[in-house]
Amino acid sequence: MTSRILVVDDDTALAEMIGIVLRTEGFDPVFCEDGSLAVDTFRSSKPDLVLLDLMLPGLDGIEVCGRIRAESGTPIIMLTAKSDTADVVKGLESGADDYMVKPFNPKELVARIRTRLRPAPATPPTDELTVGDLVVDVAGHEVRRGDTRIALTPLEFDLLLALASKPQQVFTREMLLEQVWGYHYKADTRLVNVHVQRLRAKVEQDPDNPKIVMTVRGVGYRAGAAA
Amino acid sequence: MGARWPTRDWWRQAPTRLARLWRSSLQLRTVAITLLLTGVAILVTGVYMSLSISNDLYQSRLDQALRDSSRATTTAQSTLNASDVSSGDAGKNLLNTVLQSVQASTSSRLVAAYRVPGQDTGILAPPDRGSPAMNSVISPELREKVQNGGSKQYYQSVALPAAGDTDPGIVVGSQLTLPSYGKYELYIGYNLRDSENTLLFVQNTLLLAGLALILLIGAITWVIVRFVVEPIRVAARTSERLAAGDLAVRIPERGEDVFATLARSFNGMADSLQSQINQLATLSQLQQRFVSDVSHELRTPLTTIRLAGDVIFDQREGFAPATARTAELLHTQIERFDRLLSDLLEISRYDAGSVVLDAEPTNLVRLAEDCVDELRTLAEQNGSELTLDAPGGYFDVPMDPRRIRRVVRNLIGNAIEHGEGRPVVITVDSNESAVALTVRDYGIGMSPQDTGHVFDRFWRADPSRKRTLGGTGLGLAISLEDATLHSGWLQVWSAPGAGSCFRLTLPRVVGREITASPLPLPPVDAGATMPAANPATTGSEAHA
Repeated sequence: MTSRILVVDDDTALAEMIGIVLRTEGFDPVFCEDGSLAVDTFRSSKPDLVLLDLMLPGLDGIEVCGRIRAESGTPIIMLTAKSDTADVVKGLESGADDYMVKPFNPKELVARIRTRLRPAPATPPTDELTVGDLVVDVAGHEVRRGDTRIALTPLEFDLLLALASKPQQVFTREMLLEQVWGYHYKADTRLVNVHVQRLRAKVEQDPDNPKIVMTVRGVGYRAGAAA
Repeated sequence: MGARWPTRDWWRQAPTRLARLWRSSLQLRTVAITLLLTGVAILVTGVYMSLSISNDLYQSRLDQALRDSSRATTTAQSTLNASDVSSGDAGKNLLNTVLQSVQASTSSRLVAAYRVPGQDTGILAPPDRGSPAMNSVISPELREKVQNGGSKQYYQSVALPAAGDTDPGIVVGSQLTLPSYGKYELYIGYNLRDSENTLLFVQNTLLLAGLALILLIGAITWVIVRFVVEPIRVAARTSERLAAGDLAVRIPERGEDVFATLARSFNGMADSLQSQINQLATLSQLQQRFVSDVSHELRTPLTTIRLAGDVIFDQREGFAPATARTAELLHTQIERFDRLLSDLLEISRYDAGSVVLDAEPTNLVRLAEDCVDELRTLAEQNGSELTLDAPGGYFDVPMDPRRIRRVVRNLIGNAIEHGEGRPVVITVDSNESAVALTVRDYGIGMSPQDTGHVFDRFWRADPSRKRTLGGTGLGLAISLEDATLHSGWLQVWSAPGAGSCFRLTLPRVVGREITASPLPLPPVDAGATMPAANPATTGSEAHA
C-alpha cells in the first residue's frame, strides 16, 4: 500500500519538486498551498504523514500543526527555513514530530519520512508493559491508566515504549534520537526534550513531579518503576 | 563570635572604615570642615575678647587703685605735715593714726609702712608697721624703686595670700615723710578677687556661647547640606539606574532653582538617550527580521534547486558524458552554495546580536572523540592521522554542544586541509578555571602577517591554493564568535614550516573569567618538528 503524504507548502515549485521526489520513491503526494485550507485538506485526504512548511499564507504553520495534532496523531514533519532555537522549539511544542531545515537533500527527506511511517523498530518480547501506574499495550498501540485510555501520537507511543521496554536502562538523548527518530548522527537533542515534555503532559498526573518519565540529571531519561 | 561587641578587629578596622565614610559622604565632609573652620574662628575671637576684657578690667582696676592710693597718700601726708610731734611714742601714735585713716579711706585692709633705710635723724623713729600678708608679697625691687622714687607712685602685681589660696592683687607704693622722723614707704594692697571673678564669669560665658554656637552652626550646616545633597543624591541614583539600563527613569523636576535646571537637562539627556536606544533596537529588530526573511526567501528556492540537482545527479549515469559532468558540477556547487548561505546567515545572526547561548552540561573529551571519529575518513583520504590526547577534561562543562562541535569540526577540518598529510594532534586538558582543546598540525604554517588575519571573514592564507574541502571562508570567523559567546578564547599560533596550533579555551562556569588556559600556546613542540623550516617561531594571538 502506498503511503499518502500531504505536502503543505506555498512555494509551488518546491511542492512540485518534493512531489517528484516522493513519487520516485513510491509515495502518493497530496498538495495544499494555503494554511487556512490545510486542515480541510488533511481531513479529506487522510494522509499517513504531513510535510508542513512553517511559513504559510493564511494560517501560520505552527497553528496548522496544532490544529492537526488536536484531532489526529498523524506524524508531522516541519519544513523550516529557520534554524533559530525559538522557531524550532515552537514548532515542536505545537506537536510536530520532527523537523527539517531547508535546504535538505532528497535522501534525507525520504529517510525521515520512512522512519516516521515505520515506527517501533525494537519489538519488546511481551504484549504488555507497565510503567508506574500505566499499562502499555504493545500490540494494540494503546496506553491505559486503570480503565482510562490515554491518547498518544505514534511518536509519543514509541518514545514511551522505548523507555518502558528497558526499565533498568538510562537512555541518553542521543540514544533516544537514534531509536525513536532514526537519526544515526548527532542531531538536535531539543527534539527529545520537547517530546518528553509533551509526553509528560499527557501521562503524568503531576508533570512537575514526574513518575513515568524520570530525568536522570546530566545523562538522560529512564522509565519510572512499575507501581 | 564577637558579633555584639566591637572586637579587636573592629577597632583595627575603625580608621579604615572612617576613611571610607569620609571619602563616601559629602555631607559628613562638609559638616566636619564647617565645624573645624567655625571652631577656629570662634576660638580666635573668644581668646581675643577674653584677653581684651581681662586687660581692660585690670587697667581700670589699676587706675582706680592708683587714684585711690594717691588720694590716701596725699591726705596722710597733709595730716603728717600738720602734726608736730617729736617724741618716740607720739611718732608711733601718729603713724598708727595715719595708717588707720589710710586704711579707712582706701577700703583696703592691707596697708604697710616701712622706714626708708639709711636715715639717721637721731630721734627714735617709729618702727615699721604692716600686716604679715603684706610683708611677704612686697618685692625688694618695688621697695627699692619706692625708696629712690621720691613722691612718685609705684605698683606691682602680686598674689595675695587668701584663705587656703592666693588672690590676685596690686600693691601700690609711695613715700610718706614724717616730719622730724624721716621718710617712710607706704604700701597699700588692693585685692582683685572681684575683677578676677568677673573675668572668669565672662570667660565661662564666652566658652559656653562659643560651644553652643559651634553646635548650632554644625546643625544648621547638616540641615543645609542635606537640602543640597539630597537632590544630588537623587541625581546620582537616577543616573546609576539609567546607566544600568532602566531607560524610563527620570529626576522629578521641582521649582526653578539650579537643581530644577539640572533635573531638566538630565531628563532631556535621558529622553534623547532613550529614543536613540529605541531607534537602535528597532533597527536591530529590522535587521533580524531582514535576516530571517532573506533566510526564508533564499532557502526555499535553494531547496527546490537542491532537490532538482540531486534528482538529476542520481540519474547522471544515463546522460552523455558532458551532461553527466554538468550534473556533478551542479551538485557540488549547490552544496557549496548551501554551506555559504548557512554560514552567512549564521554570521549575520551574530551581527544582529540575536544569538543566545543554549548551554547544557557537556563532556569536551567525548565531544572531541565524536568529532575525531566523524572526520577520520576525511583525514585518511588526505593522508593525515588524527590523534586525540586527553590528559584532563573528563567532566561536564556547560556549553552549547552544537556550537562547540561546529568549532572543533572546523578546526580539525582546517588542520586536515593545511596539514600536508602529516599527523594532526588534538589535545584536551583542564585546570581549575577552564577546559581547553588544541588542534595542532605540522603543515606549512603561516607567516605572522597571515596569522593575524585568520579570523577575518573570507580571508584565505594563500589565495592561489586549491580549496580541497571547499570551506566558505567564514568558518574561523564563526568559530571565534562561538567561543566569544561562551566567554571563551580562540587563539592561534603558527610558524612557517612548523605548522599551526589553534587553541579553544572555555570557562568551567559560564561567564566566569578564565585565569589561564590549561594548554600552552605556542605548543611545547613549537618549531621542533620541522627542522628545515625557519627556526624563528612567531606567534600571534587573537583574543576572543
